[in-house]
Amino acid sequence: MSGNGERADALLPTAGGARIRAVLGELLRARRSLAIGALATMFVATGIGLLIPPLLGHVVDLVAGREPADAITTPVVLIVLVAIAQGGTTAFGLSLIAKLGEGMLASLRERFVQRALHLPLEQVERAGSGDLTSRVTTDVSMIADAVRNALPELARSVLTIGLTLVGMALLDWRFLLVALVVTPIHVVTVRWYLRRAVPLYAAQRVAAGAQHHQLLDTVGGARTVRAFRLGDEHRERVNRRSWSAVELMMRGVRLVTGFYNRLNLAEFVGLGTVLGAGFVLVQNGAVTIGTATAAALYFHNLFNPINAALRLVDDAQVAVASLARLVGVAELPEPGEPSGVRPPADASIRVSALGHAYVPGHHVLRDVDLTIRPRERIALVGASGAGKTTLAKLIAGVHRPTAGSIALGGASLDELGPAATRETVALISQEVHVFAGPLADDLRLARPDASDEELRAALDRVGALDWARALPDGLGTVVGEGGHRLTVTQSQQLALARLVLADPPIAILDEATAEAGSAGARVLEAAADRALAGRTALVVAHRLTQAALSDRVVVLDAGRVVEIGSHDELVAAGGPYATLWEAWSDTRQHSP
Amino acid sequence: MRPNVLGRAIRGQWRLVTISSVLYAGHQGTEALVPVLIGVVIDDAVATGSGGALLRWIGVLAAVFLVLSMCFRFGARTGERASYQAGHALRLQLTERVLDHRGGAEANRLSGALVNIATDDAKRVGAVNLALPIGIAALSGLVVGGVVLLSMSLTLGLLVLLGIPLLLWAAHLLGKPLERRSHAEQERAAHASGVATDLVGGLRVLKGIGAAPAAIARYRRTSQNSLAATLRAARAEAWHDGAMLVLTGLVVAVIALVGGRLAAQGEISVGNLVAAVGLAQFLLGPLTIFAWVNGQLAQGRASAARIASVLAAPYSVPPGTAALPESVAGRLRLHAVSHAALRQVDVDVAPGELIGVVSTDPGAATALLECLGRETDPATGSLSLDGVPLDTLNPDELRTAVLVAAHDADLFEESLIDNVRAGRDGDVRPALSAAAADEVAETLPDGVRTVLAERGRSLSGGQRQRAALARALAANPPVLVVHDPTTAVDAMTEARIAAGIRATRDGRTTVLVTTSPALLAVTDRVVLLDGGAISAEGEHADLVHGNERYRTTVLA
Repeated sequence: MSGNGERADALLPTAGGARIRAVLGELLRARRSLAIGALATMFVATGIGLLIPPLLGHVVDLVAGREPADAITTPVVLIVLVAIAQGGTTAFGLSLIAKLGEGMLASLRERFVQRALHLPLEQVERAGSGDLTSRVTTDVSMIADAVRNALPELARSVLTIGLTLVGMALLDWRFLLVALVVTPIHVVTVRWYLRRAVPLYAAQRVAAGAQHHQLLDTVGGARTVRAFRLGDEHRERVNRRSWSAVELMMRGVRLVTGFYNRLNLAEFVGLGTVLGAGFVLVQNGAVTIGTATAAALYFHNLFNPINAALRLVDDAQVAVASLARLVGVAELPEPGEPSGVRPPADASIRVSALGHAYVPGHHVLRDVDLTIRPRERIALVGASGAGKTTLAKLIAGVHRPTAGSIALGGASLDELGPAATRETVALISQEVHVFAGPLADDLRLARPDASDEELRAALDRVGALDWARALPDGLGTVVGEGGHRLTVTQSQQLALARLVLADPPIAILDEATAEAGSAGARVLEAAADRALAGRTALVVAHRLTQAALSDRVVVLDAGRVVEIGSHDELVAAGGPYATLWEAWSDTRQHSP
Repeated sequence: MRPNVLGRAIRGQWRLVTISSVLYAGHQGTEALVPVLIGVVIDDAVATGSGGALLRWIGVLAAVFLVLSMCFRFGARTGERASYQAGHALRLQLTERVLDHRGGAEANRLSGALVNIATDDAKRVGAVNLALPIGIAALSGLVVGGVVLLSMSLTLGLLVLLGIPLLLWAAHLLGKPLERRSHAEQERAAHASGVATDLVGGLRVLKGIGAAPAAIARYRRTSQNSLAATLRAARAEAWHDGAMLVLTGLVVAVIALVGGRLAAQGEISVGNLVAAVGLAQFLLGPLTIFAWVNGQLAQGRASAARIASVLAAPYSVPPGTAALPESVAGRLRLHAVSHAALRQVDVDVAPGELIGVVSTDPGAATALLECLGRETDPATGSLSLDGVPLDTLNPDELRTAVLVAAHDADLFEESLIDNVRAGRDGDVRPALSAAAADEVAETLPDGVRTVLAERGRSLSGGQRQRAALARALAANPPVLVVHDPTTAVDAMTEARIAAGIRATRDGRTTVLVTTSPALLAVTDRVVLLDGGAISAEGEHADLVHGNERYRTTVLA
């Protein structure tokens, strides 16, 4: 598909190695004593585990030394005690490691969501919300896997390798040297692997993201797929995306088996060398046969921990790729608050020489000048694509204009900063979203500390209290996806109730009544009228009845203001608005 | 009866699972030979000082490593393939179930949670196909070890062979609570990611009322709850691992005790004791693998249960067996239909008629659309198309003739033109023009070839409506039901669209469920549903003049 390349470019940022290390360091520092405790406990657990082989050796010595059978009991009891101690400390250490890792993960995903919800909408739209959700689902679960499995194993393996090498050096320093002979093979193998693994894992992530996207598209749009009988096509798309992810995973498996085959070579070379060295040292009389045996067995015992530790390079790659995607968003700069916030003096809006282009050179708005008095109600009118929504979004601070300025209550949006802008102006668009969960929780997003009484008052003001009361569990009814389905009209009444609760001095409605159909539209227009009372309001209207009821009408055409005035003035002027009104009232009257 | 998801996932890949098991067992066996060969080299070469023997045995060691390497290489590849392919197959089955024409799988589920089931749970069930060969290889390692022990000493051999099932049983008992924990934890995690998906989905709404900080606070609470559940599960797993270590330590201790006494009494040689202890240590490997396999199976079972609940979700409507005539004329009859807000609705739509339906209650309009598209069967009464009752038709068969274009129809992540084509061939330009979607294309950077964002979110509401209407018109079905197609479209464009619908649907049955006078003006006849029951019928112009209720509903 031609869109693939573009989508990869448009994806949200991913962090580099330095950023990731800094973030991990910061998260670790916040849990310093837990981290030290976890490591110390695992050290003790591994040390205890290494006691079992000598105890078994002791049993052999006792038998070989023709000691009485009962003498065996003591080392056997010790083995049991060691096993119990090892089990206990390991369990304790593992739960500490889980607490450490999961705690860090939770902090990270919370920071991620925090930053994600502050991302500029344009950026999210370009990347597709599937990118965000796959980061918060797939990537989080990838890291959780690493935290749960890789982290404890790494701790145990590294501790075992360290302690065993010390053991070999104690037998004879030359055995340690020989054991290190194979290190170059390890280094070359890991390099060989990483060179191939890094781009492959990146491709795997893209494929997983595309698969997630496709499933969201297909599952979310299932009703439409059924209505248009697109099932075969969509199954095929899911098949294609899922299969390409499977193929990439299989390429990964082939790479990993190649990696282990090379490590097998290192094992063979190492073991052969240790045996050969033992042969030579025994011939020279430097060591006994028993010492040579012990050295070979020690080296053999290193196979598993070395493989485990190097395999974690693999898990670490997966986790780091996911981590890069989480940190990339989590570490985006906070939207800067101006040093001295200038509060708006009143609820007026002043727009001067405003221009905007989403794509450079492709102007959607030009030279818009507009002054709106406090509590004035303005209707924004124009054909589709005239720039109404863009103007609404610019005033609400959703996008930054490419030219000109906007001031709310005499303070420019830059002077206000994001927090004060949020409190000053609200934008209700035609997009309907009911948040999954109890109805009261949905409303409290607008005012978290609202009492049930305030919630009911807000619902009453937008004419929604009757149906809300009639819901199975009243305000506690679970609504939204997976819960009680509200009609479009009810959902938009909810949006207006949120506006009442948020209670900003300036409100912008962008065709907020449009999706409901005209029967619902009238209910919503009445609700909007009450919700807007006492606020400065800018209403993007396609139903001209709304325009006729407002204080002034602003007519936009191809990104420019072509007319401003009251409904009566404009109808009398005989300009573009009068033409629109004629088309509208024509269909309304329908008299021959 | 719920499908046995796990069993089917394994059976579907049994060839690969078998090959992988054999190869993994070969790998296990050759790994066990390595310490044996170390002993031989010490005995034959180091102790005797024979350089020739050293070279010979190192050559044998090389051969063993070669076999070991290759067994692992291809065992892992087949096992992983079985795992991924099973996950892929489940993903397709879930998609198939969700898209089934009888519907019903999405009820009571967040689509984010469904997507999670199709990705993560499918993967976990598939992973059982890799865990099984590894487990089987470990089991065969245990058996071979047991047989070697048996040949040395009946007592020791029996001890191990009887001890293994006992240990497995204990591991199973230990795994049970883990399975329950894992289930609860995964539900929580799915809920947390569902909440995140929902908040991201409502991003524009949140930003519009400045509610992002409140949403962040809410997600933090959900995340902390999920963290607490995860930690409970992780602690359970840690103690499970610890208990397994203790159990395996006990097995080693028992072998050392019994073997040691036998050796001390001269029943077995010291060499046999060394071998027994060595084997007991070798057996530690397979036993730890069992703990891991057990955990994988527990996760797989929990995930399989979630997948089964989706696959077994009841259908919204039963299937049908009747067939529609070769060429559908488009006579639509509703007889005494009552459903949800609809009350005793009788309508007879003639073939080729363009009929308007005005409902004072939006709920009644939605109920009517659901009945016409057979997303549900009416509580009482019946609907028929060309004399064939709708509830005797497969929903899929019905939808070849009747297209219900819902008001909130989704667009897909593909080009505008591909959205409009909706998988069909032919010239869609007339449909684009009739729905005024050609004007939409002009404002897009690549025209009709512009790729839309997922679910059409890169378009404005009015643009989405026009694209969706163009798609419905391009489909050109014998019967088209359209619901409020122009609510977000300006008045001038709406008039153009009304004329477009009239021209495009000439001679084909069309039901316009709307209160827009611009659209109603082009209909042949309008039915007024007041409170869900028919209260008036007639031409738009007559109703506007003669019916007060109609006038207030249509002309605000």
